Amino acid sequence: MSARAPGLLALVAAALVLAAPATRAQPGNPTPAPAPPSASSAAGKCGVCHPRERVQFESSRHAQEDVHCVSCHGGNDRELTVPAAHSAGFRGRPARADIPKLCASCHADESRMRAYNLPVDQYALYQTSGHGRRLAAGDTRVAVCSDCHGAHDILPPSDTRSRVYSLNIPRTCGGCHGDAKTAAGSRMKFNVFQDYLTSVHGRELVDHGNPRAPTCVNCHGVHGAAPPAFGDVGKVCGQCHSEERRYFVAGPHREALDRAGLPECVSCHSNHAITAAAPQRLATQCTGCHAAGSREEALGKRLWTEIQTATAEIDKATALAAQAERVPLNTEDYRARLEEARTYLREALPAAHSAQEDLVAGFTGRARSVGQEVETEIYAKLGHVRTRKLLLVVFWFYLLITILVLRRFRRSGRGA
Amino acid sequence: MVDRPDSVAAPQPAAEPSSRRRFLGTLSQIFLGLWGLGAIGVIGAYLRPRARGEQVAERIVRAGQLEDLRIGEARLVRHGTTPFFIVRQDASRVLALSAVCTHLRCILDYDRERRGLVCPCHAGRFDLAGNVLSGPPPRALASYGVTVRAGEIFVHL
Amino acid sequence: MSAPTPDPGRAPRRDWVAWLERRLNLSEIFSFVTHFGFVHTPVDTSRPVREVMHGVASEPVPSYARGPRVLGLIAAILFGLEALTGVLLACWYRPTPEAAFPSTLTIARDLPFGWFLHQMHAWGAYLLIAVVTLRLLRLFWDGLYRAPREVLWWSAVAMAWIVVQSDFTGRLLPWDSHSYWSVVRGLEVVEAQPIVGPLLAFFVGGKVVNEDVLIRFYVLHLLVLPALFLGFFYLTFATLRRVGLSPVAETARGTAATTYRDHLFSMVILAVLAFGVLVSLAVLAPLPFQSQADPYSTPAGMRPPWYMLAPYALIERGFGPRWLMGAGLGIASLLVLLVPLWVRGPEDAAARRQTRLWGGAAFGVWIALSVLGMFLDRPR
Repeated sequence: MSARAPGLLALVAAALVLAAPATRAQPGNPTPAPAPPSASSAAGKCGVCHPRERVQFESSRHAQEDVHCVSCHGGNDRELTVPAAHSAGFRGRPARADIPKLCASCHADESRMRAYNLPVDQYALYQTSGHGRRLAAGDTRVAVCSDCHGAHDILPPSDTRSRVYSLNIPRTCGGCHGDAKTAAGSRMKFNVFQDYLTSVHGRELVDHGNPRAPTCVNCHGVHGAAPPAFGDVGKVCGQCHSEERRYFVAGPHREALDRAGLPECVSCHSNHAITAAAPQRLATQCTGCHAAGSREEALGKRLWTEIQTATAEIDKATALAAQAERVPLNTEDYRARLEEARTYLREALPAAHSAQEDLVAGFTGRARSVGQEVETEIYAKLGHVRTRKLLLVVFWFYLLITILVLRRFRRSGRGA
Repeated sequence: MVDRPDSVAAPQPAAEPSSRRRFLGTLSQIFLGLWGLGAIGVIGAYLRPRARGEQVAERIVRAGQLEDLRIGEARLVRHGTTPFFIVRQDASRVLALSAVCTHLRCILDYDRERRGLVCPCHAGRFDLAGNVLSGPPPRALASYGVTVRAGEIFVHL
Repeated sequence: MSAPTPDPGRAPRRDWVAWLERRLNLSEIFSFVTHFGFVHTPVDTSRPVREVMHGVASEPVPSYARGPRVLGLIAAILFGLEALTGVLLACWYRPTPEAAFPSTLTIARDLPFGWFLHQMHAWGAYLLIAVVTLRLLRLFWDGLYRAPREVLWWSAVAMAWIVVQSDFTGRLLPWDSHSYWSVVRGLEVVEAQPIVGPLLAFFVGGKVVNEDVLIRFYVLHLLVLPALFLGFFYLTFATLRRVGLSPVAETARGTAATTYRDHLFSMVILAVLAFGVLVSLAVLAPLPFQSQADPYSTPAGMRPPWYMLAPYALIERGFGPRWLMGAGLGIASLLVLLVPLWVRGPEDAAARRQTRLWGGAAFGVWIALSVLGMFLDRPR
């Protein structure tokens, strides 16, 4: 078998050498059209004078799908002279105000988009967005399609190089919304991008590279981007933070904030610079609206203590379980129950949004009692270890008597 | 060195064995014997076989997905010392039959062609309802309760 | 099984020994046992067993179960306890990398008295190493390696070596993180050596600590090393029967001569005390139980066992490559065997003092290195 292997190898190598020219000859042959005709002819002859645009365009999604330079720019891409090429409905660089309409000429056309399973409502949505409405009002500084998607180098959002890939979205939006220059002369806040980067959402996205972390578009919408309506902020947050929202709606704050004309979640958590959930804030946050020393502040402090004591209880039980494991004692059952207790504790935090003590205490109480149960049981088991030590005393008592008996036998033998 | 502590643990017959001395000697022997009893107790408790394969720990056994089993087909489930066949009778009904032959406790095979269960030891045959068709088995196979929940078969042993 | 005194008046009542004696040479069986026991007088197998035992029991011996002379006895007792607990542990242990740790956990956690046997076995190993080392020191100090006791010295050294190897091989068996990594590091040093390394890799089944090595360690620990130990045990007593017990020094009270029977009782009492100490250690200071070994994560602060601290310090901080240090240690341990050949002159006070000085210096270096090893690379 092994002796024949070199012969076999030589055969395969020879076959490869023979096949290589045949395969190479095909693309080298100039007369027949290349296999994907759109790939090389997408830019037509425009690329002769516009090489940079040609390179950008040929890597884009459009170049793969039978879209050519002339589709957007007009003219004739089969001619090499400027007058001939720049004729026949040549549009040149489209005006900013015309871009959405130009893109929509294909992307709002159901019959054209069906083959790609793409939605066709982007243009309609855009027109309702902050950008679209201001553009309609004649402000051409607002974002149009090409500002987010690029002009020649349009890539699908699943491509990590794309400007609309989830990890890149904040930077794309921040190009305008994080720049003091573009914001000059408008009502736009320019620091939202920086705020977002410091937020728990931004850190999750940028620092941890979590593509599921919410970006700008998750709250503001994609093509219909606009600040959520005043009363809708809570609903927007509640899409992900549904438990918090459920408890918040059940509590007294929603009605009070609505009456006072204050936004729901944002009043405590801020809007773009949202910090990570920290239960200790229960003790300090209330004085933002309620007077220091008020009943409400005391309630917040009590909620915090409630969660704190339950956490301490579970930590203590966990430490005990670890101690028992080193003995070793069987703690698998306890680990499962402590996980259950931690789940209760995790539910106590959303429940705190109701600002109702009995709701929170329901969860923390359950967490605490599971922790205490586990502790008592582990103590009982560790007690067996203490019993061993007690039994050791009995053992030595027996042992000493044994030695006395043996000595007596020895003596009796000596006597005999 | 300590090869025969027992041989010396026996009392020395004294020149005039008084009853008190003999009683003390017997008492001492009993006391030393307690060590042996203790050792037997400790080692016995430690070595006692765990009831693992003999007792069926779980009374309810997962027997796989219903859709993996074609209608009219049987599959062996190797569960401890109580292996059983699950037989799908129609779209929703499943039967669980003991796979232990009622003759001499051999494990039955599924005969795909003749749709029955065959004992490899003495060629006893059962149909897919557990009834004896031919051969030495004295009685029908035991069957177990079956429930199907969310497409999964559970057998109650 | 009965009193060694032949008592014709009581004989008919329960003379199952005589019944057996007519069918079986009990004296021969007894003489076999003496090869592994402390009976250092020849046994006449043609006489009835009761007579033989009575003769042995009434033999006058120096009161021997005192002072440093009990070390050998205690080593034997500990070996017996290790064998007993080891057999019991082996009833539940499974020597595969997947099952080794769970089965050890089952023994130490779930089985009744499993923790007790496990701790007894572990503590017994530590004590055995300590006792065997002390015995070696004692033999050296009292010059008991001199002619005609060379074989005794060699077998003592061999037994010390076997005990250390038993501990090393047994250390891997639980397959917990500590045992696994200390074996990996130990093997690295040994296998880096020129000739011994490949040879050892051949015997333990490879250079990577995997299932092949585990089963080899298992076989070494359960079969080979105990068998070797018993062999040297036998050799020790064979030597003792020829050259006699070590002479008992004249004390202020004089040599208290007792009978062999008395001596046997003293030894049983010692055995009971040793058992008590071992049980106390197992209950009061249980050795910690680590998590399962993970070949892909080395735990921080890996320490060798206490008796390996000196080689550890030498190899980690020695002046020279690791293999050189390891080879030096190997050669040094072989040189110990040559001590009887080296010290051959007449036994006078000056010569004894000089040898003791050398030995004391070597031991001092060992202790110093151990202390150094104790403070080396402590996890901060």
